[in-house]
Amino acid sequence: MNQTVEQVNQVIQQRYKAGFYTDIESDRVRAGLDEEIIAMISAKKEEPSWLLEWRLKAFHHWQTMREPNWAHLKVPAIDLQKIHYYAAPKQKNRPKSLDEVDPKLLETFDKLGVPLHERARLAGVAVDAVFDSVSVGTTFQKELKEAGVIFCSFSEAVKEHPELVREYLGSVVPFTDNYFAALNSAVFSDGSFVYIPANTRCPMELSTYFRINARDTGQFERTLIIAEPGSEVSYLEGCTAPMRDENQLHAAVVELVARKKAKIKYSTVQNWYPGDENGKGGIYNFVTKRGDCREDDARISWTQVETGSAITWKYPSCILRGDRSAGEFYSVALTHNHQQADTGTKMIHLGKDTTSKIISKGISAGHSNNSYRGLVRIAKRAENARNYTQCDSLLIGKTCGAHTFPYIESANSTAKVEHEATTSRIGEDQLFYCRARGLDEEDAVAMIVDGFCKEVFKELPMEFAVEAKALLEISLEGAVG
Amino acid sequence: MSALIDSLATEARLPADDHAAIRRRAHKALLQHGFPDLKTEAWKYTSLRVLEKRAFSEQQAGASALPALPFAATLLHFDNGILNVDDLDLPAGVSLQPQTEEQLAAVDHGDRAGAFAWLNLARFEQAWHLQIEGHLEQPLVLAISTAADFQNDVHPRLLIELAAGARAELIEVHEDRGEGLVNIVQDAALGRAAFLRHLVSRQSAQSAWIQRSHVRVARDADYRFHTLDRGGRLTRHDLAVRLTESGAHAEVDGTVLVNDRQHVDFHTAIDHEVGHTNSRESFRILADGTGVGVFNGRIHIHRGADDSHSDLNTANLLLSESARINAKPELEIYAEEVTASHGATIGQLDDAALFYMRSRGIPADQASALLKQGFAAAPFENIESESIRDWLMGELAELV
Repeated sequence: MNQTVEQVNQVIQQRYKAGFYTDIESDRVRAGLDEEIIAMISAKKEEPSWLLEWRLKAFHHWQTMREPNWAHLKVPAIDLQKIHYYAAPKQKNRPKSLDEVDPKLLETFDKLGVPLHERARLAGVAVDAVFDSVSVGTTFQKELKEAGVIFCSFSEAVKEHPELVREYLGSVVPFTDNYFAALNSAVFSDGSFVYIPANTRCPMELSTYFRINARDTGQFERTLIIAEPGSEVSYLEGCTAPMRDENQLHAAVVELVARKKAKIKYSTVQNWYPGDENGKGGIYNFVTKRGDCREDDARISWTQVETGSAITWKYPSCILRGDRSAGEFYSVALTHNHQQADTGTKMIHLGKDTTSKIISKGISAGHSNNSYRGLVRIAKRAENARNYTQCDSLLIGKTCGAHTFPYIESANSTAKVEHEATTSRIGEDQLFYCRARGLDEEDAVAMIVDGFCKEVFKELPMEFAVEAKALLEISLEGAVG
Repeated sequence: MSALIDSLATEARLPADDHAAIRRRAHKALLQHGFPDLKTEAWKYTSLRVLEKRAFSEQQAGASALPALPFAATLLHFDNGILNVDDLDLPAGVSLQPQTEEQLAAVDHGDRAGAFAWLNLARFEQAWHLQIEGHLEQPLVLAISTAADFQNDVHPRLLIELAAGARAELIEVHEDRGEGLVNIVQDAALGRAAFLRHLVSRQSAQSAWIQRSHVRVARDADYRFHTLDRGGRLTRHDLAVRLTESGAHAEVDGTVLVNDRQHVDFHTAIDHEVGHTNSRESFRILADGTGVGVFNGRIHIHRGADDSHSDLNTANLLLSESARINAKPELEIYAEEVTASHGATIGQLDDAALFYMRSRGIPADQASALLKQGFAAAPFENIESESIRDWLMGELAELV
């Protein structure tokens, strides 16, 4: 009997392959959130005084705010005073190149399938790896520099390019935006910074890998991408965390600025630890992501595959300010066991002839709840704006929930907004057909789910699409039968 | 919001009668929750500012006019919101009594979003219990009208019960000429295999018109709701339909037309509480001038309500530069073996169709009126009674 339990446990453990913990000495600040801690984080990062002031302003504003409760989520009380807001692997000096990075860290990222070392050259993707509160290394910096592209950690950007950071920080997501954005603005530790100069196509895919490792910490990173007129960039983001019984908080902010005719493509495969099959542990993922099509003909596209986190609260949005600017949102959100997700997008049409497209696929299994929440707002002067939204939900099992809450607001009579949504279960006839062809039930479900998500997967860069597909299959294990 | 409490809900304004205890309880709940504001999710698009600025009169208004209807019907006239029972001639199978203490106590109105229902329970003048048995030959018309000098607040309360197998057409004609508040609470229960066609035709002037209709539909019963709302300064209708036993069926169809300085907010919710229940909903808003139309349609399929089917559709037309439409079709689904879908569009008249009609010699004005009429009339096409359908079409033709 005991052996069986063990075997089952092993299988479950296997399901979340990124659930290991790296034993590395870490330097962290005491738990708690106050002005002193914020000053401490700022000092550790050797920040200029304007940034500390900005952090403190955000903190004071945050103190006046309340946790949002409008989402279709049951969020247990989070004691923000018990969190260590800064944790970094101990090292004497910041490594100048990857060769100086602690081998243990490199090993961690190797294990996660994100090889940082030079051999990663073959993969042809530049990676910024963030471990707890700091960036441990960024690859291909030299090659990118030749093209004029800046891709570095946020802390480095503050030191090397303070004028850019100062100009754009908080210009898309001000610290007054919402509770978690304010919290992030006060305590953010690291993240990635990308700057693509005018008329430049970034020579390779850029990517950030976020890893939470230390116990009782949260991760509060900030990503800022600036695409100058006529530039183009594709950016990927991945994330994992060890398996723990306690919940950990992840509250990130991502800001994208696309200037005239610039294109930004932002893809995420979110695989934070989702908690065990009883809903114990897992990451609380409260993220504010927003792109600003600031000038004419700009284009921002969000693609996300959400399989992890105990709770997901995330609405990557586009502000379509420039005329003829375009926003896209492609999403697959899968929840299993006791996971909860309330995710979607906002498309704010301000400019003339702006277009947006939303394709959202929600899959719920186990005891999970999966909600799509989206806003399409057509402002008064958004002549001829156009939106198309499709959100489909798939239910697997009798105890899960799938919900759709689309908000559609139109104040311009020349605009066209279309929305359609369906909810259904995997058809018996589809399953029967697959099984008659010799597939077992689990494979059949995986195949049907893959087909259901195809529209979104085809938007992902190839390596990510393969990973996303595999992830979905693993996450669905045990969902049927 | 305290301005509204002062003008509508001071303790001194609670009528002193046999129901004092219930009224006090409702009043307490109202004070505890307060009136909704723009931060209340269900009231996010509808502000009560118009109401806050108003002083309500205690003076009796003059007699209101009866609507002219082109079909034979049993008429119950709520003159300025008060039913005159003196010479009421009810057909066989229909009875009307005041609601009992138990019936009044049985309703729970929830939180802040239900503030007006609490207000109604605290302040109602009359609470009627209408019972219907068998098949009614003629439609039953509830004419709720107000006179031009109506500046009062009135809180009609009605419980409608259809016995098993009963069949009726209930038509509410709301005509407002005043500048007060009409705050209606309505509960309906359909017995097994009963059929109710429930039609609300409303035209409101300056009065705020707030209505809550809760409907329970039992096994194999069939509930059909239609509304033609021709706008008002501030109109809010919450329609909640609960399909409580298998075989229950509901259809909700509505057309709302808003023009200058008008605001109509329709919230519907259909709850599939058990399996083998079906619903269909289709809602249309035509917003012209500076009008604002809000539609929030929710389909909730509860856990275990397997094999339920639901379709929700909202199509809306924005006809002027300053009009606004907010639509929110929601699905909340916890069951398996269900199909649920919704669609929503906001757009304008089809240029190609207009061009086609003009190329056939129809002047532009007439062509657009015809298109609007066709668009607005779609939800009424499946009304069986020809006379009622013609009446609604006539009203629509006049408007567009």
